[in-house]
Amino acid sequence: MTKGQTAALPIAYVTLRILIVLNWLYGAAILGLLAFTFINEPWFMRAIDVPAGTDAQAIMTGLRWIAGLGLLAVPLNHLILTRLLRMVETVGRGDPFIAANAYRLQAIAWALLALQLLSIVIGGIGKAIASKEFPLHLDAGFSINGWLAVILTFVLARVFAEGTLMREDLEGTI
Amino acid sequence: MAIVVKLDELLHERRMTLTELAERIDITLANLSILKTGKARAIRFSTLEAICEVLKCQPGDLLDFEPGS
Repeated sequence: MTKGQTAALPIAYVTLRILIVLNWLYGAAILGLLAFTFINEPWFMRAIDVPAGTDAQAIMTGLRWIAGLGLLAVPLNHLILTRLLRMVETVGRGDPFIAANAYRLQAIAWALLALQLLSIVIGGIGKAIASKEFPLHLDAGFSINGWLAVILTFVLARVFAEGTLMREDLEGTI
Repeated sequence: MAIVVKLDELLHERRMTLTELAERIDITLANLSILKTGKARAIRFSTLEAICEVLKCQPGDLLDFEPGS
């Protein structure tokens, strides 16, 4: 094993731990923003600078939906990050080819699929409330790379499951 | 599993212990115990050959097929 490979594991472990915390902070920030739109709606309207002549209430409702759906991404991200962290731990212990990791990879694939669907819905809402007077550029919508990642993860989960079964068979061979 | 390993009977007939067989075919006692108790998933041809050579038997003397067991 090269020095780079040995360093990759602790770096991945620490990065994942940081990302788990950042994900919850992101969730808290979105929740705070969403709550604030209800607490002080006029101030929020001024802050986002909705131009006169546009349907401000529709824009506000759309933004609330985007924030609400953004909140749904937090537990999904958490699921992905914690499963990945557990997988990194098994690599550290020197025994990653176990059935539990195949299930973890499958759970990650489903979460990625849900995130892609969320992204499409959020992108759709963004397009619906955007106009020439109120341009809204969201980094959401259909993404070829995102869907490729979903397919790749599902395939990898299956490969992992088959590999684990093969290893179990080999271990029971005398 | 319907395949039954009759290693115990063969050893008894040959008046040989499992430890002795393990030493002679160079397989750990733990692995040979797994085979004897029928917990093994598969057996390598090389293992089968070594056992047959030491116990002077045929593969059919070591393995039996008992449907439904």
